[in-house]
Amino acid sequence: MDYQKQEIKEGIHLHMIQTNRFKTNLLAVFITTPLLQQNVTKEALIASILRRGTKTMPTSEQISIKLEEMYGATFDCGIEKIGDNHVIKFYLETINDEFLPQKEDILEKAIDTIFEIVFNPVTENEQFKKEYVEGESKNLKQIIEGKKDNKSKYALERCIEEMYKDMPYGLYKFGYVEDLEKINSKELYEYYKQMLKQCKIDIFISGQIENEQAIEKVQNSEYINNLEPREVKIIKTGVLAPKNEPKVIKEEMDVTQGKLVLGLTIDSKDVESKYIALVYNTILGGGANSKLFQNVREKASLAYTAGSNYVRPINNIYVRCGIEIKNYEKALEITKQQIEDIKCGKVTDTELENAKRTIISTIKFIPDEQDTQITYYFGQELAQNKLTFEEYEKKIENVTKEQVIQLANKVNIDTIYFLTSKEGK
Amino acid sequence: MQIIENLKVKEKLYTEKLENGLTVMIIPKKGLQKKYAIIGTNFGSIDNNFIAPGESEPYKLPNGVAHFLEHKMFEQENGVNSLDRLTSLGVDANAYTTNDHTAYLFEATDNFYEALDELMDYIQKPYFTDENVEKEKGIIGQEINMYDDDPGWKTYINAMELMYKDNPINIDIAGSIESISKINKEMLYKTYNTFYNLSNMLLVICGDFEPEILLEEVKKRIIKQDKQGEIKRIYPKEQEEIVQQEKYETMEVSNPIFVIGFKDKVNDEKTVVKKHIAIEIILYMLLGKSSKSYKKLYEEGEIMVQPDLDYEFSKQYAHILISGTAKEPKKIVDELKNAIKNYKENGLDNEHFLRIKKKIYGDYIMEYNDISNIARMFLADYFKGVNSFDYLEEYSQVTKEYADQILKEVFREDNMVISVVKGK
Repeated sequence: MDYQKQEIKEGIHLHMIQTNRFKTNLLAVFITTPLLQQNVTKEALIASILRRGTKTMPTSEQISIKLEEMYGATFDCGIEKIGDNHVIKFYLETINDEFLPQKEDILEKAIDTIFEIVFNPVTENEQFKKEYVEGESKNLKQIIEGKKDNKSKYALERCIEEMYKDMPYGLYKFGYVEDLEKINSKELYEYYKQMLKQCKIDIFISGQIENEQAIEKVQNSEYINNLEPREVKIIKTGVLAPKNEPKVIKEEMDVTQGKLVLGLTIDSKDVESKYIALVYNTILGGGANSKLFQNVREKASLAYTAGSNYVRPINNIYVRCGIEIKNYEKALEITKQQIEDIKCGKVTDTELENAKRTIISTIKFIPDEQDTQITYYFGQELAQNKLTFEEYEKKIENVTKEQVIQLANKVNIDTIYFLTSKEGK
Repeated sequence: MQIIENLKVKEKLYTEKLENGLTVMIIPKKGLQKKYAIIGTNFGSIDNNFIAPGESEPYKLPNGVAHFLEHKMFEQENGVNSLDRLTSLGVDANAYTTNDHTAYLFEATDNFYEALDELMDYIQKPYFTDENVEKEKGIIGQEINMYDDDPGWKTYINAMELMYKDNPINIDIAGSIESISKINKEMLYKTYNTFYNLSNMLLVICGDFEPEILLEEVKKRIIKQDKQGEIKRIYPKEQEEIVQQEKYETMEVSNPIFVIGFKDKVNDEKTVVKKHIAIEIILYMLLGKSSKSYKKLYEEGEIMVQPDLDYEFSKQYAHILISGTAKEPKKIVDELKNAIKNYKENGLDNEHFLRIKKKIYGDYIMEYNDISNIARMFLADYFKGVNSFDYLEEYSQVTKEYADQILKEVFREDNMVISVVKGK
């Protein structure tokens, strides 16, 4: 396993991960822009329009045929918030040449195909095809409106929205229906071109590939040649934290189970504190022997799901429990008690060691999961950090109990969100 | 040990049935840090009526016992919960219950053998008390409630009710709050003693291992037990016909969610792989991303993403499931019926067939990308009477003519059901 980063042009980087652990080569193109109210909806829409057709493959049917011919290569695109950045992600996965029934250069085709989709969309009269813009607008509207379908995700999303009211991170990554109605295909195409001129572009190639070969293929691509160097605007992740008066939000829906979410902030800007926060979170709600799992689920028998997540780019922790509606007060009380307990130093050596071991084990898993590995290096890129897996493990290993308790005292409950049933019983 | 090598995907399977009846499969993967172990018993939610070895009377279980047992297996006499112990070893441990099997697993980098100790120990030493059984009812009750709010699950279980009249696949794996209230410690022991005999179990391990050494390590961790006689499983005789064609339900969802099912006959283990491959190809030809129907439905705004296309089967049931989100699921049904009719009349298109066949080949190779997937696949396939490598072996046998024949046999309107959950 070997990672190398190469600047193709200013603002455009190629990241190469040489690995023989997989049957596949995985390519990714990430387009990063600042998260802004006026642009989120446009960017989400662009992501789905690009999938519809390119100049040489003008319909999605033709793209699909091409992928099927490449032994079922899979193409995927998605949109994500990482700190105050909005990232459009494109992936293309093919089986490695070694496993093809007949010899052919699938990698070259794969690179061509993904670039073609991202950089060479089909147009008419210097704009995106109207039909595609209209169709994808309708689809995106459905996605935005479908937010409530997954109750657990919805509750988390709503908690974040309340916490980051009128701040970039509070924006919904798929945008807003009212903004969707204002978009026309000419302006959208203009925005796309402008975005490609200014945004940060990261290309990842992972698999059994020689670096020189990869660099050559990328540099020789006419689509990359057509891009200008750019000074990129990205927002370094990991510095923002809202400061609100603690608030409680309750929302009613037709549900059987209540979803409790607590948004916690950590009052620390120190970069090193992130490793401590990770350990803290694991002790609080990271797994089967965490305080939340043990006390909310195992001891009080109140929940099936009870745990917490640390969202590193924004330095927040989200506690999530699925509970019986009538147990709201009880579950909240137990949760608060766990947070208090760590503040008062109620952390055993075993808890600390368990937490560290759990984290180190997930670090060791990274090189065995192709997409996780790409996500890791991209996270490093946005945090402007260069940490090897070994260094990362060392940082976790070095966290002390005192540091965890110190950090616990900087943890604040910012927002309590509860998705409850209509009768509230 | 028996060694089976697959040259297409370049992997080897080492397998042996131990003296006490436990089957062990090892798939070595050089150079990986991740190690994965999974042990499963051929006991799932549908095995709810049986005659234990040496007995003559049938024993009928309330719904949800297999799943309840899965939760309780982690409990140990010394008061330590095995899930906690595994987690503290830094391994990621879990368990799950399906219609036809229950499995316990962990994923590790370090401490593999310590974790294997714990896994083999808790699987072989159950500890149920009135108190720990009662406590679990609250937790599982919340798990059941969670599924109640999940429209995808509701649509699936309704589809099962439409297809199956008597086969217990039509009941919820976790049971209901009412049915689990009847579960007690004696029932769990009885069930455990019947189905968790090692001769009814399979252990699959994947990672960077020397198979011979690993096998010896496994043997060390086995507690001597008597081989047991045969378990007589009692399944109600299921009619060939479906029960009802459609079911609509309302929940809080923005867009209707649907499952279209085709009830199929129970398969012969010898031919099921070939048939499965053919069905997958047909499904992609009907509704895959490059199909005419998908294009039409997409352009008309009826669907946004390709529906999931699956063929589910065990030794007791078989059916096709097409599931997704649509504006008007009825239109998907109509389009699908048309496409099937068209292919039946004119035969499958050869070029399209060959292209999808190529795609499926890549899909099978990609299954071997992740060791957890490999181990779970070999385990699940084993309980269906299938060796996972067979998909790559049988692949070339599937001709267009064979697929045409399967299309006629399985994709029939009289065995087709549609289950929908739509918004209020």
